[in-house]
Amino acid sequence: MGKGGMSHGSSGGEEENMAAWLLGVNNLKIQPFKLPPLGPHDARIRMKAVGICGSDVHYLKEMKLADFVVKEPMVMGHECAGIIEEVGPEVEHLVPGDRVAIEPGISCWRCNLCKEGRYNLCTDMKFFATPPVHGSLANQIVHPADLCFKLPDNVSLEEGAMCEPLSVGVHACRRANIGPETNVLVMGAGPIGLVTLLAARAFGSPRIVIVDVDDHRLSVAKELGADETVKVSTDIKDVAAEIEQIKKAMGTGVDVSFDCAGFNKTMSTALGATFSGGKVCLVGMGHSIMTVPLTPAAVREIDVVGIFRYKNTWPLCIEFLRSGKIDVKPLITHRYGFSQKEVEEAFETSAHGGKAIKVMFNL
Amino acid sequence: MGEEAEENMAVWLLGVKTLKIQPYSLPSLGPHDVKVRMKAVGICGSDVHHFKNMRVANFVVKKPMVMGHECAGIVEEIGSQVKSLAVGDRVALEPGICCRKCSICKNGRYNLCPEMKFFGSPPTNGSLANLVVHPANLCFKLPDNVSLEEGAMCEPLSVGVHACTRAGICPKTKVLIVGAGPIGLVTMLAARAFGAPKIVIVDIDERRLSFAKNLGADEIIHVSTDIQDVCEEVVKIQNAIGAGVDVSFDCVGFDKTMTMALAATCAGGKVCLVGLGQSEMSLPLTPAAAREIDVIGIFRYRNTWPLCIEFLRSGKIDVKPLITHRFSFTQQGVEDAFDISSQGGNAIKVMFNL
Repeated sequence: MGKGGMSHGSSGGEEENMAAWLLGVNNLKIQPFKLPPLGPHDARIRMKAVGICGSDVHYLKEMKLADFVVKEPMVMGHECAGIIEEVGPEVEHLVPGDRVAIEPGISCWRCNLCKEGRYNLCTDMKFFATPPVHGSLANQIVHPADLCFKLPDNVSLEEGAMCEPLSVGVHACRRANIGPETNVLVMGAGPIGLVTLLAARAFGSPRIVIVDVDDHRLSVAKELGADETVKVSTDIKDVAAEIEQIKKAMGTGVDVSFDCAGFNKTMSTALGATFSGGKVCLVGMGHSIMTVPLTPAAVREIDVVGIFRYKNTWPLCIEFLRSGKIDVKPLITHRYGFSQKEVEEAFETSAHGGKAIKVMFNL
Repeated sequence: MGEEAEENMAVWLLGVKTLKIQPYSLPSLGPHDVKVRMKAVGICGSDVHHFKNMRVANFVVKKPMVMGHECAGIVEEIGSQVKSLAVGDRVALEPGICCRKCSICKNGRYNLCPEMKFFGSPPTNGSLANLVVHPANLCFKLPDNVSLEEGAMCEPLSVGVHACTRAGICPKTKVLIVGAGPIGLVTMLAARAFGAPKIVIVDIDERRLSFAKNLGADEIIHVSTDIQDVCEEVVKIQNAIGAGVDVSFDCVGFDKTMTMALAATCAGGKVCLVGLGQSEMSLPLTPAAAREIDVIGIFRYRNTWPLCIEFLRSGKIDVKPLITHRFSFTQQGVEDAFDISSQGGNAIKVMFNL
């Protein structure tokens, strides 16, 4: 093995690399995926675990998401982990056989945002499965080695793939400055609300209240460690009453709210429930235009903190998983193999929501 | 000395658009208080709003209330424990008395104290009077070269200073200010004093824009009230600022102004909501959040008087041009003053000289 070596028994030439391609609305097909050549700082990774995200499902159904439009066939998937097959000659920290979790986005590393460390906002970001960049639901991919993070022995490849959604929660908790004094409200107990709950706990939040419209998701949240759960409605008229319930459930004031759903009602509730001087993080991307009581919140100096993906979160996620401070395994509710039929079923299950939290492919 | 000799008079709000100069009985002087003879008192948009509506948001005027909160004067008497001030000292007053006991106060964010007693915010009487009694620690001595009128201007200037502090204005932050009214202008002056290298200011009123240019704005842009014009106006703003807006201050507070501010600001930047226009707003919040733009809430100020006074002393900020109209402390003067102030336009700061 050694620097720049290829692992025995597999080379790009003998096996045809296959991937799950999005060809049109509700149209996924496993087809060949030709890999780019391996650059000096790249790694070739055999994918072992790939999760499905709400954004993947959205692209499947709409062929677009906000300003991103799928104009030509695109490989899906971005939450992934695998085993190094080959590394480029300049790669020193990884060798074939290493188990790695992968950070999807390749930023330019030259613009001011990148140089200031806010690379998640890079306008030239190339992100797995955000058109026109191909994703990672494939047998193998080629990716910059600095975006591949070695997993400790006690962290599985599935947990490695979970680092991606977990990173959203971790990044939100950092931006919101979660610590031992911040009491947290989480709006929405879907996958993002749940990873935010787990991250908030790991960052030391003393008390976490989570709300959702779905009883099952609330019970999952309770099992995952939420201090209190509150069932809420979709009717905006209920906001005032729900704010009271939330405050009662929290006992003390809400210092930080995370809106992991992103609708008028959830934002209005979060703004109303948060204590003066607190923060509301808008994590969920529900609607573009939102109608919310912003001024009453501004006069209590509540800040609205924007969250987009993550930056520099993999090492911390991996450490949380290694130490057991965070256990993401309960979030993986469904598993599928990498065949045409299973790919179709997996997306169906994920799109359905409900009891499905994280749908994972095992390759 | 001796309140028996002079009856203290004040401007009372008795009902919608009904102001009357009437006697105002002062509370007794506590050990940490001072009695201050008012010399300069400015009018604020909130004063005008109370005047017209007998309320502002959740603050309702239920009984007659003395108006005014932007003030400076001369110390006439000091309480037994007061060491920081002497009779004859010229002072600028910070209006709000917080409780000093709640966790919000103890954490230094006293502007958010729920028990705040603020001049001219019902039910607390204001300072448009001959004399007021006030805690000595909220009276700040003015240097010889800072006038009493400038002292009164510390109050609106504090809003700009507080906003710039919360927004982290510094020599790297390029600034957009939406609205060239009194608050937009003090925010501009504060941003410059904090080192902002480039400031673009927008407004719907050409007169206010040229006023802003004279006060030092780098670029001025005339905008409309039509939300359909946002895209075009954002392009103009970005062209005017050159390298991108780091911080926007919405000193108006409507859907359109916030929408414009959110769209014009660079990824990773901040938008401060300073103006209190609408309660509920419909905004493209998600696209802004997806660029990690943070919306910073601003309410009044905290710990700003020393800095404002220093800016005025050094000349880093000159607020004098903002005082456009002056009135005397008479029934007619008071009525005219509120009339002019509520018209806006050429009137920026209306000041009483007592």
